[in-house]
Amino acid sequence: MSSHGAFTSVSARRTFARPTPAPSTTPSPPPSAAEKAKRDWPESVRHYVQRAFATENTIASIPRQEMEIKLKKIISNSAENNTLGTIDWAKLPLPQQMILEERARPALLSANPPWGNGLEPLSLQETNVKSTDTLSKKRKSSELDLSQNGQEKVPPWRIANPRNVFEDRITHPDKRQRNDVAGKGSSKSHHNLANRKKRFEDGQPGYLSQQPFSPSKASIPPDVDQGPVIGRSQDLEKRYFRLTSAPNPDTVRPLPVLEKTLEFLKRKWKKENNYSYICDQFKSLRQDLTVQHIKTEFTVSVYEIHARIALEKGDLGEYNQCQTQLRALYSQHLGGHPEEFKAYRILYFIHTSNRTDMNDVLADLTPTEKRDPAVKHALDARSALALANYHRFFQLYLDTPNMGAYLLDMFVARERLNALSNICISYKPDVRLRFFTEELGFESDDESARFICDQGGQSFLEERDGEVRLLTGKALRFFETARNAAFKKVDIKGQI
Amino acid sequence: MEVLCREYWHANQEGSGPLLAATISPIAPPNYLNRLDAIYGDTNAASISRDISYSLTKTANAAIQYPNPEINSWTEIYSAYWYAIGAILAAEHPTTKPDWTKVYEAWKDVANTVIKGYSGGVLEAWTLPVLYTAGKHLRAFAIKADENARASGGDTSFNAGGLQEDIAGDFGKNEKLEDAARVINRMFTLCISDRAPLEESRKWGLYYTTNLLFKTYFKLNSIGLSKNILRALSASKTDMPTLEAFPRSHIVTFKYYVGVIQFLEEDYAQAEENLTSAWHMCHRSATRNIELILTYLIPTLLLTRQQLPSSRLLSPYPSLGSLFAPLTLAIRIGSLSAFDTALAEGEHEFVKRRIYLTLERGRDICLRNLLRKVYLAGDLDEEGKRNTRIYVKDFAAAIRLGESGASGEGMDVEMDGSAGENNDEVECLVANMIYKNLMKGYISRERGIVVLSKNGAFPGTGI
Repeated sequence: MSSHGAFTSVSARRTFARPTPAPSTTPSPPPSAAEKAKRDWPESVRHYVQRAFATENTIASIPRQEMEIKLKKIISNSAENNTLGTIDWAKLPLPQQMILEERARPALLSANPPWGNGLEPLSLQETNVKSTDTLSKKRKSSELDLSQNGQEKVPPWRIANPRNVFEDRITHPDKRQRNDVAGKGSSKSHHNLANRKKRFEDGQPGYLSQQPFSPSKASIPPDVDQGPVIGRSQDLEKRYFRLTSAPNPDTVRPLPVLEKTLEFLKRKWKKENNYSYICDQFKSLRQDLTVQHIKTEFTVSVYEIHARIALEKGDLGEYNQCQTQLRALYSQHLGGHPEEFKAYRILYFIHTSNRTDMNDVLADLTPTEKRDPAVKHALDARSALALANYHRFFQLYLDTPNMGAYLLDMFVARERLNALSNICISYKPDVRLRFFTEELGFESDDESARFICDQGGQSFLEERDGEVRLLTGKALRFFETARNAAFKKVDIKGQI
Repeated sequence: MEVLCREYWHANQEGSGPLLAATISPIAPPNYLNRLDAIYGDTNAASISRDISYSLTKTANAAIQYPNPEINSWTEIYSAYWYAIGAILAAEHPTTKPDWTKVYEAWKDVANTVIKGYSGGVLEAWTLPVLYTAGKHLRAFAIKADENARASGGDTSFNAGGLQEDIAGDFGKNEKLEDAARVINRMFTLCISDRAPLEESRKWGLYYTTNLLFKTYFKLNSIGLSKNILRALSASKTDMPTLEAFPRSHIVTFKYYVGVIQFLEEDYAQAEENLTSAWHMCHRSATRNIELILTYLIPTLLLTRQQLPSSRLLSPYPSLGSLFAPLTLAIRIGSLSAFDTALAEGEHEFVKRRIYLTLERGRDICLRNLLRKVYLAGDLDEEGKRNTRIYVKDFAAAIRLGESGASGEGMDVEMDGSAGENNDEVECLVANMIYKNLMKGYISRERGIVVLSKNGAFPGTGI
């Protein structure tokens, strides 16, 4: 977040540039906010704005825009009321703190606010839209989860203790504010608070000026690597935090709870499709497994499910992290679906054109694995592409097992361009559009025509005798250029 | 101790780096098989450094002034060496379980004292072979130690920090070799950062240490790191002696590795240049090295010049022969099924050598040869010109013929070659030939024919 800081703050001040028309006492607003802040506003107001934008004051759960809107409101209000000079800007709470306060108030009063804080409902909508128009040929991660180890029934703990669930959901990353307002906090939030404080300790020694010797240090065991923690938490949900000290058993969930959590998350994913929430929850789930040194089939299935969900959402970074872990877990023969994920690995390396790693995968494959349908499919796709046999490749593309299609879709456009320039160079004088549709794995003539037009090649299409034809000779150079451009950029996220 | 010290002074008198390097060799020379035992038995841990320093002084021809940094340095080196010998002898003892980790650690001390000798400016550039010996054996012991650890240790360890979110950390078990790579990297830095005039510069050790690093990185499967080294080398190119001025053995190894790196990056033109020059410069009797060079040069030439190795070339190297002969034959006769069989049978070996993905592309050449035969089988007209219009179905029949007997699946071409619809894959293959400029002409899809160029339909094959 902080990396975006400099950039967004500029745009922020631009919006701030046109406050609600102020009474004649305030000078008329100049076009640029930055300039304005320097020129006209009192020193104290400018300091206040600076503090509001300072990275050390940002609060993770509050989007910057929200803070900016608030800030704008505060200042324009005071300008209208002619209180610019009277307010003690140095002591006025920052806009983000005000927002937190406002949020905490209704949260404590009513039991129903979701974990969302303006962000989540939005992404929920978006993902729902996406999921409806995803191609039918792809399997959803939720299908796989349930067919493999999911049961559909309302779990007893859900009925028994619904409060527990909600209580956890209203947590905000920054407990300090909430505690100030409400004056109460569970032991868990205390722990988070301590965590956060600790995080600032390294960067800003002055932050904890009241407690110079940081008593929280006493609670850190002398040796972090003492061995597995045994968790005592019963919460199903937990937000993810990167550990900066030894884990506290009170916030770590033991295996039986984690198992319930997984079922809970699977259902939730199926119902709500909220990726940012699910990803966060899975990360904390993985963290709890790690700190307790749980390495069982359950661990494998957690990583598998997370990997599939990440794949479905195109989150290659998270997907890669899971793959790396799965590779280590599979090497210990804990069960799971090693072939399925080997196949993904192969497809992924086709995408990144990583020959070195591809060679390593090939070297690791056993004859049994090579006979597995998913692995075989991936290997065939690989060799078809290696020999530029687009005919074979697109047949395989239309018949991809598991969730491989999500990976294939990442480079299918590139391979289509390759095939297109291939065809353009060798067929004369033209070919029917139908031929492309069939050879390049399109679902209809419309789709293939759209692909050609999207590339900007509509001028090479010609209708004759009731058929659409592509003028191959003329289109050659054009598609060559597009092909070369497509092969140039393969960005690699995460690592394997 | 006197043995060791006499060797030392002798080497100094001769000014011979190799002789000096031999004094810290962990392997006994053939003419003095119990050299290590003799040195080790000559003193004990309590008096080792006093003994060495005393003997070094005593065996000197000239009077030595004190304090003498050179004597101090060598006392440190030889003390570390003495401990290392102890560990080696223990490891090689037939009745005990060898502990190569201990040997590695002991030898690392030797390497570090040597590095210290150079960085302190005590050891001169002519003694560089000492650095080489230290580095070379460090790598060897590290590999042994890792093998040792792999054999004894079973499962993957947990994240040491305990603070990461994930279960397993590094699961590559090359702990010592990775450590060794760091030490060797320091040796490299030692050489590249020396600013002394060229005659007495450690820059002369650059290619040896580079090669040692390459070897280590290749073994660690992190070939990407080699590029950092190459970058560092090309950055200091201006104040370095030219490559030609270095010992031939350094050049050959360097060119080989650079060639292989380029080969892996699919920069075949550069790879061809470097590997060819390594091949020409390699010592005739260094069979193993020639084999290694050819392992990459043969696939390279297959792609860059569509050249196949002759049996005369392969005959002195039976292992290369068995590696490449089946594939070569298949390409020569244009048999796709033989090619696929050979590739599948050799897959394990090819993948291990990282040449599989390159050899795989030889199928294009194989196919080209087959299609060329179809063309040559065509009739001549009255003027003696060959028919340049060939039915796709004829190509399909030829391909189908090659495929028969091999696995049932494969081409979706009908046996009689009459069907038009099912020749799409054949058309695709022909299109590829044209695209890759292995064949000149175009496909007329409506008529189901391939129109070949009247001159040079198969470039580079004399037709």
